[in-house]
Amino acid sequence: MKLNVDFRNIKGHKFSKDGSKQALLNLTQDSEKGGGYIFEFDNFSDRNVCRDFVGKVLGKFQAMMSSKQNEQLVPEKPAATVHGEQLSTTEMELRMKLLREDSELQKLHKQFVIGGVLTESEFWATRKSLLDDDAQRTAKQRAGFKSAMLADVRPSTDGRTNKVTFSLTPEIIHQIFAEKPAVHRAFLNFVPSKMTEKDFWTKYCRAEYLHRTKNSVAAAAEAAEDEELAVFLKHDEILANEARHKIRRVDPTLDMEADIGDDYIHLPDHGILRDGSKETADAENEFARRTLSQDLNRHAAVVLEGRALDVELGDTRTAAEALARSKQAELSTEISDEKTNQERMEKVSRMTEIEDLQAPCSLPFAPLCIKDPREYFDSQQANAFKALGDTGGGITPVDCSLKTEEAYIYLLEQISEVKVRGLNKPVVQPEAALKVLNGLNPYLSSTKYHLGKNPQECVLDRLPNRTKDELMHHWTSIQELLRHFWSSYPVTTAYLYNKVLRLKDAMAQIYHKLQEIKESVQSDFRHQVSLLVQPMLQALDAAFAHYDTEQQKRSVKSGNKPNGFVQ
Amino acid sequence: MKFLIDDVTVYFPYDYIYPEQYEYMVELKRALDARGHCLLEMPTGTGKTVALLSLISSYALARPSPPLKLLYCTRTVHEMEKTLAELRLLHSHLPPTHRSLALGLSSRKNLCVNPIALSSASRDSVDSACRRLTASWVRAAAAEQPPGAVPTCPFFEAYDRAASSGPDAVLLPPGVYTLGDLRALGREKGWCPYFLARQMIRYANVVVYSYQYLLDPKVAGIISREMQRECVVVFDEAHNIDNVCIEALSVSVRRQTLDGATRNLHRMAQEIDRFKATDASRLRAEYNRLVEGLAQRGNLALTDAWLANPALPDDILKEAVPGNIRRAEHFLSVLRRLVQYLKGRLQTENVETERPVDFVASVSSQAGIDQKMLRFCYDRLHSLMLTLEITDTDEFLHIQTICDFATLVGTYMQGFSIIIEPFDERMPHIPDPVLQLSCHDASLAIKPVFDRFQSVIITSGTLSPIDLYPRLLNFNPVISRSFTMSLTRDCICPMVLTRGSDQLPVSTKFDMRSDPGVVRNYGRLLLEMVAAVPDGIVCFFVSYSYMDGIVNSWNEMGILQDVMQHKLVFIETQDVVETTLALDNYRRACDCGRGAVFFSVARGKVAEGIDFDRHYGRLVIMFGVPFQYTLSRILIARLEYLRNTFQIKEGDFLTFDALRQAAQCVGRVIRSKADYGMMIFADKRYSRHDKRSKLPGWILSHLRDAHLNLSTDMALHIAREFLRRMAQPYDKAGTGGRKTLLSQEDLEKMGEGVMDMF
Repeated sequence: MKLNVDFRNIKGHKFSKDGSKQALLNLTQDSEKGGGYIFEFDNFSDRNVCRDFVGKVLGKFQAMMSSKQNEQLVPEKPAATVHGEQLSTTEMELRMKLLREDSELQKLHKQFVIGGVLTESEFWATRKSLLDDDAQRTAKQRAGFKSAMLADVRPSTDGRTNKVTFSLTPEIIHQIFAEKPAVHRAFLNFVPSKMTEKDFWTKYCRAEYLHRTKNSVAAAAEAAEDEELAVFLKHDEILANEARHKIRRVDPTLDMEADIGDDYIHLPDHGILRDGSKETADAENEFARRTLSQDLNRHAAVVLEGRALDVELGDTRTAAEALARSKQAELSTEISDEKTNQERMEKVSRMTEIEDLQAPCSLPFAPLCIKDPREYFDSQQANAFKALGDTGGGITPVDCSLKTEEAYIYLLEQISEVKVRGLNKPVVQPEAALKVLNGLNPYLSSTKYHLGKNPQECVLDRLPNRTKDELMHHWTSIQELLRHFWSSYPVTTAYLYNKVLRLKDAMAQIYHKLQEIKESVQSDFRHQVSLLVQPMLQALDAAFAHYDTEQQKRSVKSGNKPNGFVQ
Repeated sequence: MKFLIDDVTVYFPYDYIYPEQYEYMVELKRALDARGHCLLEMPTGTGKTVALLSLISSYALARPSPPLKLLYCTRTVHEMEKTLAELRLLHSHLPPTHRSLALGLSSRKNLCVNPIALSSASRDSVDSACRRLTASWVRAAAAEQPPGAVPTCPFFEAYDRAASSGPDAVLLPPGVYTLGDLRALGREKGWCPYFLARQMIRYANVVVYSYQYLLDPKVAGIISREMQRECVVVFDEAHNIDNVCIEALSVSVRRQTLDGATRNLHRMAQEIDRFKATDASRLRAEYNRLVEGLAQRGNLALTDAWLANPALPDDILKEAVPGNIRRAEHFLSVLRRLVQYLKGRLQTENVETERPVDFVASVSSQAGIDQKMLRFCYDRLHSLMLTLEITDTDEFLHIQTICDFATLVGTYMQGFSIIIEPFDERMPHIPDPVLQLSCHDASLAIKPVFDRFQSVIITSGTLSPIDLYPRLLNFNPVISRSFTMSLTRDCICPMVLTRGSDQLPVSTKFDMRSDPGVVRNYGRLLLEMVAAVPDGIVCFFVSYSYMDGIVNSWNEMGILQDVMQHKLVFIETQDVVETTLALDNYRRACDCGRGAVFFSVARGKVAEGIDFDRHYGRLVIMFGVPFQYTLSRILIARLEYLRNTFQIKEGDFLTFDALRQAAQCVGRVIRSKADYGMMIFADKRYSRHDKRSKLPGWILSHLRDAHLNLSTDMALHIAREFLRRMAQPYDKAGTGGRKTLLSQEDLEKMGEGVMDMF
């Protein structure tokens, strides 16, 4: 059956989430009339291809439609919905996410992009770093192993027959390989030369089942018959070797293995064998030795080590090989014994110290070097006098009576000195600098806002909430607009010209609003508000002035060239 | 910092000191002045070890003659390393003119650097591999033959050459030497670290080694024989010292032992025949020596020394070996009869308990071996093995065990019993007959230590009730004190959890422990805590079998999977290598912020000496009361002995023993006052006064009445509150009159105050 629908009738499309039950794509027709077409796909990848295509085409159609509409209805409002660029879904999602996370950004976006002052791409063009950053972060982070023990596959029975089903996914298989090197090696050896992958896993599951049912007699019997099966049941030699290797590198303060070599009580038959406090181990059977605790320890160790390979978990064979490669690499990059020893020693000594008995460690500081003590102390004295003199004065301006020439020479000297010696060590220790900075910051912010009153609260806090929010919002809006405004110069294309025009209008609106705020605010705050608004207005004024001069230049030019731009 | 206690200048490696550390030092100094023994209980987490080391080192510096030596005994090698690390810190604060020599001593296995000997796996094979290369007759043979024909150990030869020019030539420069340092030094200089260390302990000011080197007569006889009287002996973490003493004098014989002994006897008979044919004079010389009453060959070469007589030095007979075992063949036939007799005894189907007197009488009547012959068995065997020039001593451990047994049973009539069990009570389906000579009297093994050395200090975080230890060990301490902990904030939070969220009681009582409801409630408790507590959590179970059972049940119930959603799970197993690696991983998981749970066993290896301080353990859960297996024959016999000789009631002893284990487990969580941690005792029996009151005072004083009968949800609430409180900044030094951190100034002021008072 064929279905032919004109794209012009389609208004939108919906689709089910990846990983949900069905792969659906719903093309909706006009919202008033209702109705639409639902497509069900076999898998999600096919669906996604179609979805992306539909999305693109729909986007184009809508752009055409809206531009037509715009021409007819609101000619002064430029097409906000025009998609200058075709965005992929991931990019779109990323932008949505950023907007969702940052309410301020969302406000701006709403005001300017939806309001038609800026286009979508213009808005995001100034925030490229934000997008890039985010993209990088998502790319860098790799998922580790799941904490859940996937390798511990549980069989399911259907209840009627004696059939037992194990289900393995690539993720599970990868974990099995990582946690059971013997299985991993067997896989590399046997598949596909000796048996198919399916046979291999069947055998593995059989061994698991035997192990799970704790039927050691049956396990032994099966293992005796089938040597490949025995591999899965036997004690893992590779693990034992690894353990022997690792034990040499553990912290000596928890190396219990060393005790075995020391305690003379560990001599066989010395001491009491069967005390009330001791337990005898169960009879040792090669096939019964693998216990849950061992599996748990091994699992936790593997999770802790993290996933070492970047291969997509699709094909078992490639995953197995990649794992083998990464292990090889690990062995070759093993750090030398001495270095680890050194680290171990440091760790032990760090561990032994009792921290709260220690004196608080002081920050590293550069000793004060006074070249001319007399001058220094004289100036100190003078400062002290001054501080006594005017109590409310705060910082007195430093007398900088240097001539330009002198200053220049001094600077030159400094630079040449640095050139010769290099900036090998920081002038100020970073910790100390941070401390000073932190110390100064509260002071700065408080002097900025406090007008001789309580230093704890800043001016903004004392304004009515509404005014404060408005001011803050206007402030960010102005910043955004100005950024776009100044970045549009020099105006070379009609597009930019239009943009500047739009921006100017928007700024003019805000300018008026600011004036209104200034006038409407209560008299006791008026002074402060006007102080706050002042820099904003100044910035806007500067922009307007620039616009006007440019405009004049342009009109002069266009006067010369009557057939120039169409404005 | 540096301060005065009476007339002794104490060097302390930190800028501040806890008041309890100061008090501890004062008490310790009084004990040293009185040249007596003392018993000090000090909470964990108050820097006990550093206080001890710093006072004794300073005391030795203040009283240079006669030189005072410190023998510091730890239970395990990793504790030895920890102690040496603290000692190293202290040494960097001692005045440079007073630098002393401190070293750790362990077995050949931990010290050997010879690659050939090291390639063998166990301790005994390293020992015998070493002997094969260094025994005096091997070296003599190597000297006669062309070089290379008889392999010797280059490290030992180099050391021997260096040492032959006098002990000064090999004297180590002052400093602190851990086992690793000794090995590194040995490699660098080409000297054998083991024999170097053995030699150096005579000159060292501080020797750190394990309990056995003093308590087990077999080891003490060769290692600690030459220590002078002017020694301060410290047993750190000594709450289990009675068990160590008992173990030191106990032997068990299994069927494998007897079979091995029979093989050994065959080998020896062959060797004797060979010697008769080739070198009969050696056997004759031995006979003559024995006639003269020299069981030992006089001064043995350092490398020939073997495990010494299992009996205590005072009890070893200083007379000639009886005539009927002087000849090698006769001795062998005596041993054969003994082994045969023991084999017969092992075939019993019932549990038999006998006193040594009856056993000796029965041996005498049925095998024709009298008590005196039994007593000389060990020395006679030792002499014979030296005569036969046997180097692979690890092969001959079986016959050695038999002779140990014979000597002990022939020497001691009191405080021992012989118990023959055809199978383990807990696994009746597996026949595993064993004959055990069990010592019940802990005071026997430690008596020579008390007699020989001027001060013996027994200290631990858990010595409650403190009056019990002098009775168990039969000594009179000049000072016996239990310290409390002064805290700036309540940084420990013990709780007793008696019910699950469903209000059903939880317990590991025998009839309740396998109840699925209890198992589930325990699981829910862990699950809730794992979700609420950051970083590391440690759980202790009453036994391996119980832990295995409950972990398997949790796995089946899906609780374990939920736990793993929050934290990684590590488990202690009976395999030490695996446990060590699991611990190492656990620490890494805590370091990297992933968080982990460690499942461990009370009385296990981990509970004995691993610290779970700071983020390595914010919470300890003790599931159940770690009682001993009360049906054990040996325990029953020991309890009977305790009741008859010390008038200690069975129930009291069992509770005391269980609670000291529990306290020991939970005490590992805190290491300093800046640290904090919670302890949950999850069993309804802890709420009973008779159980609870046996906990050490420093835990009890923080156990509020409101925390005595909690259910899981209440405990969770308290835990959340506690963690929130602990996250706040606090004043380290303590406020007002209750100072919890003293500076040098404070100490000086205190000193003046004391002056004013008197």
